[in-house]
Amino acid sequence: MSIEYAPREVWIRGTGDYREPVEGDTPPRLKTLVQESLGVPVRRIGRFIQLALIGAGRCAGSRSPGRDTAVYMSSARGDLETTLDVVETLFRYGMPPMPLSFVNTVSNAPCYYVARHFDLAGRSNFVCSRSFAFESVLDLALLDIESGYMDSALVGSVDIATSPVAYHRRRLQIGRDEPIAEGSHWLWLHAGECPEDAIGELVAAREFGDRDELIEWLSAQPLPIPDTCLAAGQFAAREDIAAVRQATGIERRFEPPKSPGYYDSQSGGTINAFLHHDRQRWLVHINGEIDGARCTATIVRRLDQSS
Amino acid sequence: MRRAWFIGGGAHTALGTDLAAAVGALEKISEPERVPLQYGDTLDEIPYRLLAGRPLERLEERLYDVLAGVIERALDEAAISADERLRMGLFLGSSSADVSVSEARFRRELAESDDAIALIASNSIANLALHLRRRFGLRGPDYSFNTACTASANALVTASDMIARGRIENALVVGVELFNVVTAAGFQSLGLLAPGNMRPFDRDRDGLTPGEGCSALVLSARQRSSDDLYLRGSATLCDTYSMSTTNPDGSTVATVIERALERAGVSSAEIAAIKVHGTASLHSDEAEAAGMQAVFDPVPPIFALKPHLGHTLGACGLNELLLFRAAMGQGVLPGTPGIASADRSDSGLALNQHNCDIGPGHFMLNYFGFGGNNTSLIVSNVD
Repeated sequence: MSIEYAPREVWIRGTGDYREPVEGDTPPRLKTLVQESLGVPVRRIGRFIQLALIGAGRCAGSRSPGRDTAVYMSSARGDLETTLDVVETLFRYGMPPMPLSFVNTVSNAPCYYVARHFDLAGRSNFVCSRSFAFESVLDLALLDIESGYMDSALVGSVDIATSPVAYHRRRLQIGRDEPIAEGSHWLWLHAGECPEDAIGELVAAREFGDRDELIEWLSAQPLPIPDTCLAAGQFAAREDIAAVRQATGIERRFEPPKSPGYYDSQSGGTINAFLHHDRQRWLVHINGEIDGARCTATIVRRLDQSS
Repeated sequence: MRRAWFIGGGAHTALGTDLAAAVGALEKISEPERVPLQYGDTLDEIPYRLLAGRPLERLEERLYDVLAGVIERALDEAAISADERLRMGLFLGSSSADVSVSEARFRRELAESDDAIALIASNSIANLALHLRRRFGLRGPDYSFNTACTASANALVTASDMIARGRIENALVVGVELFNVVTAAGFQSLGLLAPGNMRPFDRDRDGLTPGEGCSALVLSARQRSSDDLYLRGSATLCDTYSMSTTNPDGSTVATVIERALERAGVSSAEIAAIKVHGTASLHSDEAEAAGMQAVFDPVPPIFALKPHLGHTLGACGLNELLLFRAAMGQGVLPGTPGIASADRSDSGLALNQHNCDIGPGHFMLNYFGFGGNNTSLIVSNVD
């Protein structure tokens, strides 16, 4: 391979989010929201695909991403609902799985449905990461843009709740009193010339072996400190955030709207919320690894909409 | 730009754990085993290519034992240092990950109590990667790809690109697919299983034979030998014709092949041979043949590995690549005697029948999966 591609800026043309609490024992129905987000109904799909379509639909809005736009998606847990449906059907009820249920157990099914809705024929990938669901898919998308595979990508992360919610809590080891939520967070990335509708720039999404590596790298980035704020990912250790603040001099914190409950892909919600707030223009989002030392730094720059 | 060299491999498939010896076994095709498929009152038997020498016992430990052996062999061959191992990235590709373990556990617990809860221990596709990181002391990044039959091929592509872009120096790519009732019953419900061994591109093709296979490949920025293979280029595209098959007119296959050639900087005439995906379904093989015929004139020699290994689904990318690597190491292009010979093919494309000599060159390996994910790899051992 000898193709070299010049580094390019990566702009954010839109964000799309779904983040709602799950109350009672059954997550809410999503069919209407899918139709509202896309403008058309989509049938015979499960919750994982529905949430992906809602997020991606809200992200693109009424615009049509170009046909070569990639669709990249991640999750911390994957499509628990469809897998559970098949497993329960087989082993609890002793019945064969419905063919469509089985086909939809592939985790990249949402990528297919998003691509089909927007008539896309570009790259597609699905990746799972326990601690860094949103960060890993941003990382993958940036790598592939840098490698020259694509100029445009819908990139998202989805984590769902399953019914009965009591079992979902046990499965995820979430305490009885902690609220549960679901989330779907999407960005539309565009590499090259800044598009007219850009709302921000994805400056970097990197993963590090430990905090020291992160701090060394971050300290070398040309950040306008007075105009930069820091956000802590849901698994970031307090002492890591404190160390980053001390090392970089970034004083201001960005506190996103409180999450309505526990779900895994919350980084996307924080980053997307920043892009729509109106104070500092630079965000450094730090996340940590559950039971490990690895950590991530995501840097975004919000564009001043008046300029 | 740096290359990511293939410097160490290990596999455990229906052909055993010795990849070099497996090449000799390609001279004939055995019949697959018949494996019980049991759930509820259903007791059926389906053809399946199980791991050689590893019966379906101790299902809650079997996956981890097999993977440990496969990865140890890959790391041994690669002979990387302890520090390199610490920092290497882990790229795992699978359709089913540890479903074989979680369903075995659920069945056991359900037999004890109706209150058993499924997927309690295995509640994330990424859990297997976490297990492997702990088991082998890996502290680099980990990514678990789940794009159906292209999963481990896509894992390989990302690992190779990360090395090429200088993000990491070494990578461990792992493909995983073990027998599980979910997958077997699922394919049975779709009517996609062959009654015997699968016969891709053959006029009598009648479905796929599932197979088990786990494999591991170490990639490195450091070339170890002048014979080392590397991933020269690739393409992965989404085909929205159908969730379960590529467009039968071959157009989407042709497009992904053309993009891969373009990325690799190689013309169609320079491809020495093509490893077909060859799932032996009527339409998929038709699409693949049409796609190749649209791009290549003439089509170079084509060969298939699924009649030997079975269809190992998400792991087929890496399993088939490693068997091909072993064959290349002996200067052999694998054959499938009696399947899709010139007088048995209905597409005009015949599969290579017997192991034959092949020299260094550029080779194409294609994979197409559920969810419309199509991937084409160009693997080379020349400049």
